[in-house]
Amino acid sequence: MKGRDVRAIVERDLRPVRPLWPPSRRALALLPLVIAVVVGVPLLHYFRTDLAALGFVRSWGLSVVESLAGLAIIALGLREAVPGRALRAFALVIASAVGLALPLVIYRLTTETFNVGPLSWSQWRFGMACFQTSVFAAVPVLLASAFLTKRAFPTRRVVTGILWGLGCGLIADAGLRLYCEFTTLPHMVLEHFSAVVASMLLGVVITGVIAKPPR
Amino acid sequence: MEAYLNGRIEAFDAVYEALAARVRRFQLSLCRDASLADDLTQETFLQMHRSRRTYEPGRPVTPWVFAIARHVYLMHRRATARRLRFEAAVAADARSNDTTRDGAQALTDADHVRHALRDVPADQRQALLMHHVHGWSFAEIATRLGIRVNAAKTRAFRGIRRLRGHLSRRSGRGAKADLR
Repeated sequence: MKGRDVRAIVERDLRPVRPLWPPSRRALALLPLVIAVVVGVPLLHYFRTDLAALGFVRSWGLSVVESLAGLAIIALGLREAVPGRALRAFALVIASAVGLALPLVIYRLTTETFNVGPLSWSQWRFGMACFQTSVFAAVPVLLASAFLTKRAFPTRRVVTGILWGLGCGLIADAGLRLYCEFTTLPHMVLEHFSAVVASMLLGVVITGVIAKPPR
Repeated sequence: MEAYLNGRIEAFDAVYEALAARVRRFQLSLCRDASLADDLTQETFLQMHRSRRTYEPGRPVTPWVFAIARHVYLMHRRATARRLRFEAAVAADARSNDTTRDGAQALTDADHVRHALRDVPADQRQALLMHHVHGWSFAEIATRLGIRVNAAKTRAFRGIRRLRGHLSRRSGRGAKADLR
């Protein structure tokens, strides 16, 4: 193909286009959906009965922190999906590590106060509803983020998927922890944290499917 | 770049003019093939055009275009590797089919030869097998059978001629059967 062939194709196809918003602004567009998920999960079920005893900071405060962290990581994923704005390896590792560590830190902060629920690791089936609720709660944010990713041009699809999938998982978990009052470590890791990881993997799979180079 | 996003072809020309040579050098440094570098450069500009809305106004154009160029090269390399794997698999498959066919053909041929040998007279068949299969000399055959050397040669020769005749008739029938 010669340069003039490319020019002919471009000329035939050329029409004004509106550039995408910056990644942070696109992530902020998800804010109403994030609020709906965080508040919707306990509203659809019930708020945990120990909410008052836990205190505002440890209940709502930590959920807000977790959902904002999720939103920030989604923004990083959307940034990663723009050519030339890929994250450096160090930033990528830090973002993923913080994203994965944050729910564990939050569980730990909550577990110090209460110790309700299955105490043994073998009781993983008890409370599977939490895993399912978390994954289902993540679906709306996953779909919206997938739409935003599809409109961009992710050159590193796995990295992009990891980031926005992890962000969606954190947002769903922020809502789930306002509903689930089990606070034992086995339950938190096997049901809640595994749901965050599952959401991250879903992000990778979905990005692999939807994010083909523009044709 | 903003003018290009607004749909002006002259703006595309300007971007192409400014970056084509650098993109080509970049592709050449990656693939080390001048002709392929030309193709990848054109593909880069096509891909740039298709994804032009991902450009953020106000940001430098070069990193954006070079990220696309690198992606185009990696996609090409992946596609090539996939094609080579596919071709290797097809070649291996063809080799395996050939081996199977050769084996089957050899069995069929041996069967035909056995059948044709039955039609060769016993004295000629004996001389033929002793010479052509077991590798005996005509003098050894003559001594063993108690005949002259020339007689041994004649029996082996006539046996071969008859065998060849049987085989050619059989292969002719086989070919006709195949045609039907």
